[in-house]
This record gives sequence, structure tokens and C-alpha cells, in this order.
Amino acid sequence: METAVLTFFNGISYGMLLFLIASGMSIVMGLMGIVNLAHGALYMVGGYVGWTIAVQYDLNFGLAVFLGGCAGGLTGLILERGFLRRLYKQPNEQVLLTFGCIYILSNLCMWIWGPRRRLQFTGEFLSGLIHIGGIPFPMTRVFIIITGILVAIGLWWMQDRTRLGAMVRGGMDDKEMTMGLGINLERVSMLVFFLAAFIAGIGGVVGAQLLGVYNWLSTDILLLALVVVIVGGMGSVQGALLGGIVIGLIDTAFKTLLPQFSMFTIYLAMIIILMIRPSGLLGRRV
Amino acid sequence: MATAKLKESVKQPWQGQLIRFTPYIAGGVILVILPAVMPSYIQGIWTRFVIFAIFAASYDLAYGHTGLLSLGHAAYFGAGGYTAALLMFHYGIDSLWVGIPLGILIAAAVAAAFGFIALRVSGMYFLLVTFALAQLLFSITWNVRWFNSPGMMGIAGLPRPNLGIPWFSWSPISLYYFVLVMFLISFFLIHRIMNSPFGYALRGIREDETRMRSVGYNTWLYKYIIFIITGAFAGLAGVLFVYYNRFISPTHIGITFSFLPMCMVIIGGSGTLLGPVIGAMVIIFAEYFASLFTPERWPLILGAIFVVAIMYARGGIAIHLSRLWKRMSYRYGSTKS
Repeated sequence: METAVLTFFNGISYGMLLFLIASGMSIVMGLMGIVNLAHGALYMVGGYVGWTIAVQYDLNFGLAVFLGGCAGGLTGLILERGFLRRLYKQPNEQVLLTFGCIYILSNLCMWIWGPRRRLQFTGEFLSGLIHIGGIPFPMTRVFIIITGILVAIGLWWMQDRTRLGAMVRGGMDDKEMTMGLGINLERVSMLVFFLAAFIAGIGGVVGAQLLGVYNWLSTDILLLALVVVIVGGMGSVQGALLGGIVIGLIDTAFKTLLPQFSMFTIYLAMIIILMIRPSGLLGRRV
Repeated sequence: MATAKLKESVKQPWQGQLIRFTPYIAGGVILVILPAVMPSYIQGIWTRFVIFAIFAASYDLAYGHTGLLSLGHAAYFGAGGYTAALLMFHYGIDSLWVGIPLGILIAAAVAAAFGFIALRVSGMYFLLVTFALAQLLFSITWNVRWFNSPGMMGIAGLPRPNLGIPWFSWSPISLYYFVLVMFLISFFLIHRIMNSPFGYALRGIREDETRMRSVGYNTWLYKYIIFIITGAFAGLAGVLFVYYNRFISPTHIGITFSFLPMCMVIIGGSGTLLGPVIGAMVIIFAEYFASLFTPERWPLILGAIFVVAIMYARGGIAIHLSRLWKRMSYRYGSTKS
């Protein structure tokens, strides 16, 4: 019983991390039609900066999360302002460009932080266990779940309840019409891209509690994000949340029950979803 | 008409003739003569370049000609390579006449399976799915012991292939010429495919798939077939790569090796016959020089070249070369007879 509860809990927390990784990517895909393959690299930048703040300078973990997010966001902003904007209406080129950026960012990170793998780190107030009903839950995972829920609520509120969200939804449905109504869609895109990169950076620091930070994280995370987006469907917060939790639960469950097959399960889930619903569980139509 | 044209060209002065044949002469010198006089280590680089030219040309069939942006092309390269390597490693079959056909077959089969899944979706989703599927293959080769030599990642210490001629033994230059023959055959086949009605239909799909569908083409089938064909060519490149490199590891299926042909096609010029070859040449030789000076910065250099090529030189080198050639032949070739 305790194992089952803990596995479920671990699955949910991993799923929340996956949601943090995939949500930004999903929104950018929906609004701008760009598959930002450098999303994992932004996550990695956030993770490294968080490590520098929290471990090297031994400052507050919350500050590390915020500054990691800022680092990711700024890198994303440079990517969008400097490069992607100049390739307007050339989706293939934009995708390829972000692919090249994986290489550049990974190598720059290796240059700055070196090839050594950083172990999992966390704040002082997050170490230890919390007992609920006699079952011990690690605080780090509780923190991940709380962060995930906060980001999910924030994104959902932004998407469905604010003017910016309405602009974003309008832009997804009909770009020309939205621009014709006098909305500066380019500025909206910039804001959304920054927000997505910011969340990726936050995810990098929060996720470092489970995964650590290392140099090939950029592609590992990219793969997870892609699978989540494929399963959940792109373009909505709910899709990324559902996809993340489904993949998190499946992955954790199989790692506990059948560890020898655990590496195939997320792909298998992805293939099955593609066969039944090519646009994902909650996706807009492809 | 044809004879009149021929006569005209015969009358042209010698500069015209020279310009006319410059590309062929340059190609012949670069591919056939130059490697023969190089030291054997450089001949290895040349072999690598020609193998990657096949790989990049196969990628260009999908991306440049059909518009299928696949992110996991190394999967088929690796499938071919692993087939050849496993045949030698587990079964002791080092015959080239088994390795190459079987490698191509397995790679095409993998492409058929992956293409069936990936082509259910189009556009952005297609590239996500091809990427994820290639990573699936990567994690299989990474985790399953059968795909690795004992105690390490990948299969090392492979012998050279057996050509079936008793007195024959491989030298760097004979391996190079063998690979070159394979390259010329592939090049010819790709040329034929692209100039067939099938090839024109593919370009039609790239330009406007909806229109092609409404004209009555089964575009799904066309894309599926070309996807399998590109897988087969990539498989051939993989087999040759194993024969040349004598080592294969999961890295050769991973994202790095998917990125290389993409980079070559973009730099050389997509949708052209010559582009991938030129791109392969640029990248492989740049890689060689980078490995002499700063091997650890090579990914950064590669990424930077790639980004610059996308931002500022979209046509690729091949376009500029052919424009230069045309200008030269107008200037020197069309003197009055």
C-alpha cells in the first residue's frame, strides 16, 4: 500500500516536472508554429545558473529558481529577437535554427561550467521528509508538485482569463485576422517566447532536484518534452498538464514494476497515442 | 537540331570548351586523382567525406526534394551500420556481398516501420515523431547488451569486409575507390529517381501537397515510398561507414549524426543534386581541421556555421557555384564563331 502510494506520488511529481518542461514548448508551438528544439538547452542553462547560485555561492534556493528562470528567459529572448524573428514565415528554417542552437548552447555551457556532472541539489528548507498519514514524502518532490501546480494555475489563468491570453488564442486560430484587429502579434509572440523560456529555466532549477545538471541534458529534456507534447497535444496548458502526468505516471510505474522495459514505455505510449489520436489527447487538430 | 548544336560547340574556341567541362574536370580531380596522391591518413578523410556525401544525398531526397523534415535520419544510417557490424561480430559473416544488401534491407525495413508511424501526422508533428523514434533506437542500442562488445559501448575491433577475392587485401586507397564506386552508383540512382515522373511528383508535393492530392495523387504513398528509399540509401552509407570506421556505437544513431546530414544539406544547398556532396565536403574537412586545433569546440563551430548558413546563405553553396559557372560560361563560352 505504502509502495503504491509512493509510486503514485513519485509519478505525479515527475509528471509535474514534465509539465514544467513541456508547457512552454507547447504554447510556443501553438502560437508561433515553431518547434523550439532548443527548449531543452534553455532548461539546461537554467539548471546551470541555478547550480551556480545555490551551490557555488550558497545562496537561497528560491533565489536560484528565480535567477535560473531569468537566465533561461533571457537566453530565449536573445534567440527570438536575434534569430527567429528574422526568419518570419519560414517554419522549416526556424526549426533547423533552433536545432543548431542546441549545439551552440550545449557547447557554451560546457565551456563555462565544464564537462563535470552536477549532482542533485536543493535548498536547506527542502531537505528532509514530510509525513502524511504515516507515509514519508520527500520535500523536494512536494516542492516540484507545488511549483507545477502554481505554474499550471498561472498559465491557465493567463490563457483563459486575461487579454494577453485572448490575443494568444486569437493568434493561434487566425494570425492575419488577429493582426488585422490591431494587435501587435509580434510583441505578443516575444512575450510568450520569453515566458516559455522563463518556465523552462525555472524547470531547470526545480528539476535539478531530481535529475542533476549535466551536459547532454539538452537533448534528454528535449526528448521528454516532445513525447509529452505529442501525447498531450500541443497548444494548450491542459494538454501539456495531462500529457506530463500521463507520461510521468507510466514511466514511474514501469520503472518500479518492470525496470527492464522502462526505457521503451514512454515511446510505446507515444506510438499508441499517435495510432489512436494523431493530434494528442487534448490537442487542436493537426 | 542536336547535331547543329554540337557543331556550334565544336566551333567554339578553347576557352569555351574548358569552361564547359570545368565542373566535370574539377569533380574528377577532387574525387579520383587528388586522393591517390595524398598520404593514407588524408585518404581516410576523403573516404569519410564520400560516405557522408551518400548520407547527405539520401537526406536531401527527403528534405530537399519532398519537403519531409526528418530529425532522426541517423536511425537508418545506424540500422545499416549495426547490421553490418553485428553480422561480423556475432555471426562472423564478413562478406561484403552479404553485408551491404542486408544492411540496406534492414535500414529500409526500419524506415518502413518508422515512416508508417511518423507519416500519420504531418508538418511539425512529423519531425517530433521522427526524432523520438530515432531516440528509441538509440536507447535500445545503448541498453541492450547484444548490441555492444563486452565491457564497452558500441562494437569495436571489426575486421575489414571480405570482397570474396582471395589475393585481395584492403588498403586505404582501395577502400576509398570502392566507396567512390558505391557513391557514383547511388548518385546515378538518385539522379534517375529525381528526373523520373515519381521525382516530379515528389517536388509537386513539396510545393503544394493539397494541390497534388486534388489532382489525384496518393501523396501519402509517395511520401512513404521516398521515405523508405532514403532509409535504404542512408543504410548503405551506414554499412560503408562501419567498413571504414571499424567501430560503431550508439552515438552513430544519436542526435549528432542526425544533425550532420542536415547541416551538409543546408550548407551545400537543399533540393539540388550537387549540394549535399559539397556540403559533406565542407563539413568533413572543417571537422578535420577543427580536430587539429580545437576538438572540444567543434560542436560550437558546427552550430555557428549552421546558423550562419540558415540566416544568410539560404540557397547553399551549390547554387552560388552553379551561378558562377553560368556567368563564366556566358562570358567566355559564347564568343562568336
